[in-house]
Amino acid sequence: MMREEAHRFGRARHLVGIAGIPQGPSGETGVIVLNAGLVHRIGPFRLHVELTRQLNAAGYPTLRFDLSTLGDSAASGGQQTRTQAVCGDVDDAMKLLAERAGCERFILVGLCSGAQNAHVVAATDPRVSGAVFLDGYAYRTLGYKLRHYLPRLVDPARWVRRLMHRADGQPATPKVEAQPIFAVAPAPREEVIADFTGMVNRGMKLYLVYSGGISNYFNHARQFRECFGKVMNHPAVTTRYAAETDHTYILTGDRARLLDGIGGWLSQNFPPAVAGRHP
Amino acid sequence: MRLDADIPFFFGPDAGLFGMYHAPAVPARRAILMCPPLGQDLIRCHRLYRQLAQALAEEGMAVLRFDYHGTGDSAGDSAEVDWERCISDATAAAAELRRRAGVDRIVAFGARLGGSVALSAARQARFSEVIAWDPVLDGDQYVARLDTMQAALREDTSRFLRPRNHSDVAEQWLGFDIGGTLRRQLAALRVGPADVPTLVLDSTPASTGSPWERIVSHRGKVATIAPPTAWEDLDRLESAILSHPLIQAVTGRLKEVA
Repeated sequence: MMREEAHRFGRARHLVGIAGIPQGPSGETGVIVLNAGLVHRIGPFRLHVELTRQLNAAGYPTLRFDLSTLGDSAASGGQQTRTQAVCGDVDDAMKLLAERAGCERFILVGLCSGAQNAHVVAATDPRVSGAVFLDGYAYRTLGYKLRHYLPRLVDPARWVRRLMHRADGQPATPKVEAQPIFAVAPAPREEVIADFTGMVNRGMKLYLVYSGGISNYFNHARQFRECFGKVMNHPAVTTRYAAETDHTYILTGDRARLLDGIGGWLSQNFPPAVAGRHP
Repeated sequence: MRLDADIPFFFGPDAGLFGMYHAPAVPARRAILMCPPLGQDLIRCHRLYRQLAQALAEEGMAVLRFDYHGTGDSAGDSAEVDWERCISDATAAAAELRRRAGVDRIVAFGARLGGSVALSAARQARFSEVIAWDPVLDGDQYVARLDTMQAALREDTSRFLRPRNHSDVAEQWLGFDIGGTLRRQLAALRVGPADVPTLVLDSTPASTGSPWERIVSHRGKVATIAPPTAWEDLDRLESAILSHPLIQAVTGRLKEVA
């Protein structure tokens, strides 16, 4: 049993979110889900609704909410950078979940820009004890380029097409400019590695799930290690590469597998009965 | 604009319906119920619905946005969406809006299937007028188009590394589980005229014939909005639908009859 509550909250009462409160003792670890891109708090194809309700059923208090200026939330009105606003908004969200469910520790979940925002907060806020990064930071490594280009170099059909184009005198297909990975500049790789290292050193647990939908910069399970080095082998870090799925989990079977994965990771690392007592 | 003028809450049967009430700064002169579309259209239109609601509230109107059972933040799974329930939820939302605004006359607005709900619920919910933006009138054609798009999605290599199995995409429309009941209900849907003044806002690409004739011939009219809206373009499935002309058309119409 659980109940959902609609809240307007925050330092300027500018935020809107839905808290899911399971029946039972308070003091558990709460799960906060951040916006994916510009989609409002229900998430792509209602992913965040399905995720929070499944976690509520497993005993975790949750909050899905809109960051400043997204969804139903307004700007806070202060002179802040976007990073400061995100940190302030998540601080407001943690205070709300502490008030409503007694949570003292928090897990942040984010997809794409949501992962980036979760990363920013997780790197600096000691109340965050775990994070789920879905299609978060990544870099085109040498391994990525070999896996991407080598099959093309040895594909005879591709060479035949290329030569025929040349014989026809037709111009080669115009080169498409690589799309930026994030709408804002990605953080330097060394900085992200240092952040991950700091997170696990202070006892955080991390779950990174990357999809086949970001194949323009990530294409193999080995790339976690290629991107971020030995910290990916730390026992506090779990990674999964879901090649078959797309970036926003449009198919309900893919979504169900993602939710089961997150639920399993949570129950293993933050069992509801003892959640809230992690370092 | 007051930051806390928009009030989120749950209401209706078992307090399972999510609503967002936009209270005007002055006592409301009239009230507007915004019926959302279904499926991915609901997500694509969220920003526009909020912009329109705030624009209307600034004109002194009380506005309620809400989600049907099984959609948005309301209770229920996506597979539980039921057409008859959508109509009864719209009726419950109208009652909630009357209670909050202290106004009896309600104009209903809806985009796509939200417009179809508004037209279908007009008598039961006692709407005084309906404004429908590209409403779906013939459900069988709509179902066929959704099935076609879902089949194309399976092979969309800009989304998936390789085509998916048929079973992976079965019993879904563009991101959402669909129950057999909703499929049957929509396939049988044929929206008739509401017995109240009706304004159809048409932004469909190059309409052929007079698709709106049967719902506006009695007490309605059609206004065209440009540019056309890409409701059924798979490549833009996750792009927000924004339309300043739509906001102008709706606010203009409501100020005109105030």
